[in-house]
Amino acid sequence: MNQSKHHRILAIAPSSRGFGFAVMEGQETLVDWGVKAVEGDKNSGTLEKVETLIELYQPTIVILEDASAKGSRRSARIRELMQKIIAMAATLSVKAEVLSREQVRKVFFAEGLGSKHAVAAILAKRFPEELGDRLPPKRRPWMSEDSRMDIYDAVALAVTLKNWNKKAIRS
Amino acid sequence: MASPQLKNYLRSNRKRLGLSQKDVAFLLGARGGAKVCRYERFSREPSLETALAFEVIFQKPASELFAGLYKEVEQRVSARAKVLTYRKDFQNPQGRSTRKLEAIKAIMSR
Repeated sequence: MNQSKHHRILAIAPSSRGFGFAVMEGQETLVDWGVKAVEGDKNSGTLEKVETLIELYQPTIVILEDASAKGSRRSARIRELMQKIIAMAATLSVKAEVLSREQVRKVFFAEGLGSKHAVAAILAKRFPEELGDRLPPKRRPWMSEDSRMDIYDAVALAVTLKNWNKKAIRS
Repeated sequence: MASPQLKNYLRSNRKRLGLSQKDVAFLLGARGGAKVCRYERFSREPSLETALAFEVIFQKPASELFAGLYKEVEQRVSARAKVLTYRKDFQNPQGRSTRKLEAIKAIMSR
């Protein structure tokens, strides 16, 4: 899974509102990042937008969260969407890979334990120009998740793929 | 398989500075953000004046901002330089031809 420096990665993090995405190339350069909201038929809308991103950035790899991994709590719609994205990537001759939440945490924390917000905080420090000012406040139990977290989820997937063979980032 | 460089890196540079497409359009002297969008989506190539304006806005050389385009141009010029070395006066270079050949070889080795 170790990526050489000229690979371009497109990480997609689908959510209930749309999806977050990150395009990374070189050692760890963010080329594009953001959140796309999808209205109406969310799966077909997301597929359309992901296809546009693939055509624009021509990545070597599309990376997604492994929804079938143990402990994954993604909804049936998102599981179906992820399968469709993988199938679409194949039709566009782009390799697709999946990474579990556990794999992401292993890269970010020496012990493999840490919250989603802690991962986002590490990324905000690591990419201060790109993500530093977009870190949402820590989510409270009564709050719904900030849509900006989708960007951090996508960037975390890309960073994990780049660093899978290295030591934990924060250790 | 490695990915070739993108034609330009305008979008990432703009986002890093926190500028909107409309802001950049204003700085370029364009009417709206649509033109900037087309540059960022690689559907339109900027004029030399606009490329230099991007250099001023993002404080980076145009060869870096338009890395993929620069690579394409570099390859084309390098290929033409190779053709140029086949010319008769470069077969047994003397005087000025030696200097020219050195310059052409430098282009080819980039």
